Amino acid sequence: MAQEIVDVLIVGSGHSGGMAAKILTEKGVSCLMLNAGPVVNFTKNRELKPSYELPYRGFNMPGRLPHVWQADEFNANVWVDEKEVPYTFPPNHPYNWVRVRLFGGRSLFWSRQSFRLSNYEFKAKDHDGFGDNWPIDLEDLAPYYSRVEGIFRVRGQADHLPQYPDGNFVVDDSPWSGSLQRWVDAGKKLSVPVCKARSAMGVDGLASSINLLLPDAFNTGKLTAISNVVVRELTTDKNTGLVNGAHFVDRHSRREMYVQARVIVLAAGTLESTRLLLNSGIANSSGVLGHYLTDQVYGPGIVCSVPEARNGKGPDTLMGGSALIPRFRNIDTKAKNFIRGYALNCYSSPRGMSPSVFPAYGAELQNKLDSYYGSGFGTSMMGEVLSYYKNHVGIDKNAVDAWGIPVLRVETAYTDNEYNMARDAVDTSIAMAEDAGFEVLAKNYEPNPPGYSIHEQGTCRMGDDPKTSVLNKWNQSHDIKNLFVVDASSFVCGGWQNPTMTILSLSMRASEYLAEQMRQRNL
Amino acid sequence: MRRRDFVKSLVAVPVAAPYLLGEQAPTPPPVPPTPPPLQPAETAASADRNELLEPYAAQIAASVADQFASTQAHFFSDAQFATLRKMCDLMMPSLNEYPGALQAGAPEFLDFLLGASPSDRQQMYTSGLDRLNSEAQSRFGIPFAQVNAQQADTLLRPWLRAWIPEHPPTEPYERFINLAHHDIRTATMNSQLWSVAATSAGERPPGVGMYWSPIDPDIQRMV
Repeated sequence: MAQEIVDVLIVGSGHSGGMAAKILTEKGVSCLMLNAGPVVNFTKNRELKPSYELPYRGFNMPGRLPHVWQADEFNANVWVDEKEVPYTFPPNHPYNWVRVRLFGGRSLFWSRQSFRLSNYEFKAKDHDGFGDNWPIDLEDLAPYYSRVEGIFRVRGQADHLPQYPDGNFVVDDSPWSGSLQRWVDAGKKLSVPVCKARSAMGVDGLASSINLLLPDAFNTGKLTAISNVVVRELTTDKNTGLVNGAHFVDRHSRREMYVQARVIVLAAGTLESTRLLLNSGIANSSGVLGHYLTDQVYGPGIVCSVPEARNGKGPDTLMGGSALIPRFRNIDTKAKNFIRGYALNCYSSPRGMSPSVFPAYGAELQNKLDSYYGSGFGTSMMGEVLSYYKNHVGIDKNAVDAWGIPVLRVETAYTDNEYNMARDAVDTSIAMAEDAGFEVLAKNYEPNPPGYSIHEQGTCRMGDDPKTSVLNKWNQSHDIKNLFVVDASSFVCGGWQNPTMTILSLSMRASEYLAEQMRQRNL
Repeated sequence: MRRRDFVKSLVAVPVAAPYLLGEQAPTPPPVPPTPPPLQPAETAASADRNELLEPYAAQIAASVADQFASTQAHFFSDAQFATLRKMCDLMMPSLNEYPGALQAGAPEFLDFLLGASPSDRQQMYTSGLDRLNSEAQSRFGIPFAQVNAQQADTLLRPWLRAWIPEHPPTEPYERFINLAHHDIRTATMNSQLWSVAATSAGERPPGVGMYWSPIDPDIQRMV
């Protein structure tokens, strides 16, 4: 069979790849999408089961997925097994790389928290002198955010805070529960804004590439997709230096194949896109490919009880709901021992509490659980991780994955800035809880390992200067003009925000630019 | 013992449930046709027969082995296992018509689970159980398995901590006491006996979730 040259080859099918496919095909561009894993059949691949029917009674297979703390025995089969696709790290600096290779990628499982970055992130260096500014600002991306929020049906409320930009929301005008109103009031005393959370409602209970983006692309008749193929390496034309194709391997048979393409869009997820570029030995004249890895600090927080809700005595309106405290440090005042900031997820739970928050056992513990039922309140931190050159990934030449592809070595660690921020997040939570009259039952100052948030960013960052960045402001390689990288590897810094809305908006913007460049025959 | 027999009889219900439900139905479901002889290969049309064949598989009500069989695992020494059994009995006793950890087979299950676990987890358990037993010997002159509830409390309570899930205490012995407690509770509450007790109490059984089966697993790793 004669081999075709595809117009645009898209590697990856998650939010970023799905958006690229939707925009490009709607502009009339033919695309071929390669995905490393299979397509989910929701009816066939999942069913309700009790723990006692599972091989390990709900404990998960011992030793399986040691760095995926989100894994349990119910969902273990959706994550990438690190024995199949290993990665390495220094023993004293573990990294939790949490991956999904199903069609749709991690868009099938994300938390749906939907935020815009603000100019406190886009122009962070202007505020505190650290790091670098993005080559774009909020005003550049705002129109794309609005369109993405419309597609994903983001529910939220306008708060008119510069660090928490408003958007195109399905308006959330629900009242606070009584406990959350007390939390709002406690925040006011400490100058801590308590806002409504913002979340993508999606459609049919799903806010994924596979239901909100890819159907539009397939409906154009311009998208072809291949599942279960692992891209090994991109190739370049020796004369022009442009990318011209990709070697890939069939996941099952190990059959090696090659496809030619006029343009390549990488959307494999932050570290997989960078791994592919590193293994291909391209797009790195700056020397910063793989560097400036960042993510977000998760883990610190508190668990409390609302005394009035115990023993079933509270009114129905007392408990329930959630709130978000956006970054409030280093906006108008300066924190004493850290720069940037963090947000707090806050929840009020009308259900049972974790037994671990009570230092008791047996009948005494059961009495506590019964008495405290429906009175739980908690916070958890989402903090910015500073972007340093030294935090990086590279190719580990001593290890390969199941298809013989060299793996990544991840070398990153949190600094005092993140630890100090974590301490402030917990202490602030405690101060607010005490002011609100809540009983603090448990607290944790210790961040989860880097990577845990599943918000890895950077390593292929954008910038105006080709000597200090990999991509330009259109997510286009400085070195290779027909190569685009549209996932979160392009981020210069990540703030505290869930990056999904920004990934989607950047991919939409880059794809429209790419389509226009192709129309003008510049590519 | 009487209570255990009661719970055991409840456990047997799911096996018979399809038939009982069938008897209660106002109109009995149609009897599936006699299965056709096996054929060497499926034809294209045979894919359409899935709906016809499905009732055969649906009437096979598989049971859970714990219902009839006991776990044969011997990772722990006799002394360690006796200490673990005592911890189970104290930390998760039978309460309010729900089975305790001993009835739910938690010690035997944890013996199996720890035997299959990474070495650092095994070490946490074996050294923790040894220390608990040794402290009982030095404080009361008897093994932990023989201490009374008050004596046990003086050995356990000082080490209990309030902790947020994913962040158990880091001091090794504290970590053991608190994580063992957590594991004992989980092994008990995720048992079939507990599920049956919850159902008969009119409550929703814990530990029911959406299970993802392996999705198109890599065939090269299966051989």
